[in-house]
Amino acid sequence: MEYSAIFWWTALWLIFWGVVGSIFTRRVYLRKDLDTSNSILVGAMVGAAFGPIGLVPMWIKTPEISRKLILIPGFVALGIIMLAFALADPENNCVSNGSFVASQITNGLIIGIIYGLMALGLTLIFSILGIVSFSHGEFYMIGGMIVYYSTVVWFPGLHPVIGVLIACLLTFLLGAIFERLFLTPLYDGRIDRPVEYGILITFGLAFTLQYFVQAIGGSNPVKAKRFFDFPRIRLPDKEDPWLIKTSRGNMELFDTVSISNPRFVASVISILVLLGLLYFLYRTWTGKALRAVSQDRDAATIAGINPHHMNMLAFALGGMIAALSGATLVQAFSWLPQVGMIPAMRSFVIVVLGGLGSLPGAFIGGIIIGLVEAAGTGCVPDPQKASSYIPAYGMIVLTLMLLLRPTGLLGRRFASGTHGKL
Amino acid sequence: MGKIKINIPRILITILVIFVSIQAYAANCPIKIGGLAPLSAPGSVTGGEAMREAMLLAERDINAKGGVLGCDIDVVITDTEGLPEKAAAMMQKLITQDGVVAVGGGYHSSVGVASKDVANSRGIPVVFAETWNDTITGDMQKYIFRIAPLSSWASGVIWKFAAQAPGVKSVVIVTENTDYGIPAAEECAKGLSSKGISSVTFGVDIGTQDFAGIVERVKAERPDYTIVLLTGEAGYNYTQQAADAGIGPQDIMFHANQAGLESKAWWENVPDGNLAFMARIGVPETMYNESALKLAADYKANTGKDGIESYALEAYDSIGVIAQAINEAGSTDGDAIVTALENISHDGVLGRIYFPYGSKKSPSEDGKGSEWWHQWPDPAITMVQYQKEGEPSNTMTIVYPEVYKTGDPIYVD
Amino acid sequence: MNRQQTLWLISILIIVFFIAFPFLYGRKDYDYIMHVCITGFFYAILASSWSMLAGYAGQFSFGHMAFMGLGAYGTALFSHYFYLSPVPTNLCTEFEIGDQYFIIKNAVGVTSSTLDQDCLTKALAVWDGSIQITPMPIWIGIILGALLGGIFGLLIGMLVLRLRAAYLALFTLGFSEILRATISAEIKITRGQAGIELPYLFENGISIFGHEFSKTDKIPPYYVMLFLLLACMAVLAWLAKSRFGLFVRALREDEDAAAALGVNTVRFKIMVFVITSTMAALAGAVQAHYIGIITPNNLMILQMSLVVAMAVIGGLENFAAAAIGAIIIQFLLELLRESFVIGGVEVDMTLWRLVFFGAVLMITLRFYRNGLITPIIEFFTRAHVASETVEKRGFQKTEDVE
Repeated sequence: MEYSAIFWWTALWLIFWGVVGSIFTRRVYLRKDLDTSNSILVGAMVGAAFGPIGLVPMWIKTPEISRKLILIPGFVALGIIMLAFALADPENNCVSNGSFVASQITNGLIIGIIYGLMALGLTLIFSILGIVSFSHGEFYMIGGMIVYYSTVVWFPGLHPVIGVLIACLLTFLLGAIFERLFLTPLYDGRIDRPVEYGILITFGLAFTLQYFVQAIGGSNPVKAKRFFDFPRIRLPDKEDPWLIKTSRGNMELFDTVSISNPRFVASVISILVLLGLLYFLYRTWTGKALRAVSQDRDAATIAGINPHHMNMLAFALGGMIAALSGATLVQAFSWLPQVGMIPAMRSFVIVVLGGLGSLPGAFIGGIIIGLVEAAGTGCVPDPQKASSYIPAYGMIVLTLMLLLRPTGLLGRRFASGTHGKL
Repeated sequence: MGKIKINIPRILITILVIFVSIQAYAANCPIKIGGLAPLSAPGSVTGGEAMREAMLLAERDINAKGGVLGCDIDVVITDTEGLPEKAAAMMQKLITQDGVVAVGGGYHSSVGVASKDVANSRGIPVVFAETWNDTITGDMQKYIFRIAPLSSWASGVIWKFAAQAPGVKSVVIVTENTDYGIPAAEECAKGLSSKGISSVTFGVDIGTQDFAGIVERVKAERPDYTIVLLTGEAGYNYTQQAADAGIGPQDIMFHANQAGLESKAWWENVPDGNLAFMARIGVPETMYNESALKLAADYKANTGKDGIESYALEAYDSIGVIAQAINEAGSTDGDAIVTALENISHDGVLGRIYFPYGSKKSPSEDGKGSEWWHQWPDPAITMVQYQKEGEPSNTMTIVYPEVYKTGDPIYVD
Repeated sequence: MNRQQTLWLISILIIVFFIAFPFLYGRKDYDYIMHVCITGFFYAILASSWSMLAGYAGQFSFGHMAFMGLGAYGTALFSHYFYLSPVPTNLCTEFEIGDQYFIIKNAVGVTSSTLDQDCLTKALAVWDGSIQITPMPIWIGIILGALLGGIFGLLIGMLVLRLRAAYLALFTLGFSEILRATISAEIKITRGQAGIELPYLFENGISIFGHEFSKTDKIPPYYVMLFLLLACMAVLAWLAKSRFGLFVRALREDEDAAAALGVNTVRFKIMVFVITSTMAALAGAVQAHYIGIITPNNLMILQMSLVVAMAVIGGLENFAAAAIGAIIIQFLLELLRESFVIGGVEVDMTLWRLVFFGAVLMITLRFYRNGLITPIIEFFTRAHVASETVEKRGFQKTEDVE
């Protein structure tokens, strides 16, 4: 960075006033006997965005905390940081190269959708069973492995989409069986600490599955063939295809943004699945029952819903969704028994960011994390380190979130699940 | 519930008896030789399995010829997992539990760096097969030998080839942040800049799967030539994702890591990987000597692969050279084996193996750096290129240097 | 002799056995078995302190290995960069302290011998053996490493005390991942994946009762690690028995009730966190000096799962059981490495042993929730009587509900 001092001093200024704001705003609201639920967040945002100029009037007036009061200062603070970065490093691709920025954002969005889908499975499990599944990454890995084995090894020539369906079916069964065998003690109060039991038992499953796959299939990298090739398109005309140009493995929009085929296909499948899932959750009886259980278990039981069936369905469905993301990405990445680890970590970050148990939150969180990672790898000036820190970028967002608003973006105040208070 | 009587003296005696009665087995046959290979992640399993196969073939061939000192040899393969601390522990296990008299193999540089001290302090000779980091021999330890090329030397071939390719002005180096990748990247950058070619180095974590962000950054640098120093699946992932984004081997000149020589895995993982360049250790198959041809045939039959990889050849020879040294030393004593190794002339599958520098002659006498200590000076390094989609690695076109050339390189622009 | 006394006797016997072990065992693979023992003790410290944190205090942290790594890297960096020299190098950053110069080596990262050397190596090459430099005493490094772990424990403790189980687990998991990524990325300083080398525990050898031990001998580190384990167990036992321990358990059972009864839950949570993370850091620092190299891979989630599994299989709510479990499992995992052949099919035990291990973990959790070692201990302490009653009561309650 050329003028790195500008950036670091600005960041320090923001952090300082953010901390001051978060500490004192809560006290001010507490003293005036007002609702303090989001005061830390608001204080931090206003402090970071406007410094003392914003904080002092707020402490005097103590307005009711609204969404506007959080979002506007939030975006202002983000704008200040971006401006400081632009001033500090005017040569950076993120500042000077428009098509680079467009490509990074597109990439971030596309991969974010896939992350979001995977996290959705995790949050679904949490909202019904009240446990965090630590085997989510292994379901992802198995999904990919099944597609590879079914389309390349067992039945060469099988269409990948059928492979994806097989993967869904098998992982759904795996999830259901595991739930029946190992998670049932959760429901009848036989376990004093269900949350911890849930974490440990799924952790054990993850460990076993990963080594099982490695022992059976070895750990050579494998990869499925591309599901579809792009048709050859040149628009608006053949000579000057500025709008859209495709080759088999790539699509170029506006001569600047290039999207690779496997990612595009994976994100399209993700969106379709998401739509299907929404339809299922909001339009079918089973889906409605599932949501009812997540909102109020006892009431749902009274209404004639068997919560045990819903537990099984939720765990199997959640695992299947993770497997589906893996199944669509096995054409984009080389696959190993260890691949689940990083996406699993990312899903954790996403669900906490979006709010544990919130379905839309998971999706929004996925896109945010996709963009943050793209910004991190794209903008950090030192090329030697930019990508080494990929797992850390999401974690920074997560830490901020836990400090400022532990319930996450769209989290319910008291995420319930099976066990009431968590 | 009654009281439990415990007879303490009896327990103690029992324990004592158990340990005293176990006798150290004093058998001298078979002679055990250790073999290091990464057989589980995060190590490079593909490489490790190839090396294991080759070392077992070496064991079979040596025993078929009557073994060593009238005994059969037994190659004890150990999994290093590619982790330095595991490697140190495994080296210890090989020496103390299995009682090996010498050790061959070795794939990851970090494994070599960490395990060499253990072996050296216990006086067990090691002939490293595929660990490139210069410091392994650069520490001039008495018991450490190497038949793999030096990192600085292999990097030299890579950057010299890049520098002589037409129209290369800016190069991007994508490297893993390990002690193989970082020094190699620095050496390449240094060499390229001596030819007036600018370069940018991108470092990545070895577990990285999604390279989209990095690929865009590389693209923004508008390189004429990419040098990828990523081992295992990371190299496949980067190459294919770069190809998807339009800066792959078919779009710009592209040096892929030698993991690409595993042609079956390469074409499965990098379907758009045609025209990539790779560095290969050892002479081309057409120039193989008789023993190499026989080994290649056996290896292909056993593994179902199209050809034998260079690290498998090296692993085979590391065991072979140790066996001959034990024979010449006439004993399994470490010091005797070292003396034999320093004087050895072994006709291996890679060619004639010898170690010109050692306790008799310091490398500095010839004005060479300390990394030439106990280093085989002759491994051939060639640049090869896939020129047909789906081509097996043994028919790859050798494009550099002149001596071995079998065809002209195809430069894309 | 009643059962309580028998338990005491057995514990003393076990301790005596481990103290006498190096002199009893005489097979050829002596060094290797000793190595497995030392590593077993190391895992025992981690598993027992983790069971204190998770089992007693109910704080489900997945960052235990990260604290271990902090300790190890703390002492590694300390011994890697700081030296004392009688004359100035005029190349490094250095300060005069008394008649010595305190030298800070510059960070060059991972290089090969043909590239740049650090300033101290250059200076040594100029002196050509005429001047002896002194490395820093490693015990200072170990203490600093442990302190580093404690400080981070304090910070993390303060950060996560507001969070409940699931969030805490996720956050600490993320923390260890960040730490791992940072160490891998800052190659200049930490040497990244190449790992940073440390001097051995007794770099210049040590003489005990007239017997000279070299730096690679196993007996000195064996006793260091064993006594470290015993010391940690003593601290944990004191914690569990004290008023403090009572509070801690109250915390786990019902945090709100504990708070209502006037237990300062936050303070105790943080204290438990700090104590256990210091222990992990201490163990990490000593182990790193014993192995002689530390890499970021030690912080991987897989290593953490090993500690968790050891604690769970031993007995999560009994730190002694966790420690014994850790030692036994470490032995089993090492001894099960040998592959075998069943019906013509070679079973590669390097992988299958971990599959079995995972399966045992799940089955233990499902059917023997107190672990496999705890019931044995409880048989002697008669604690099972109380727990059975509680269980019965709990069972009745659920029956009533249904």
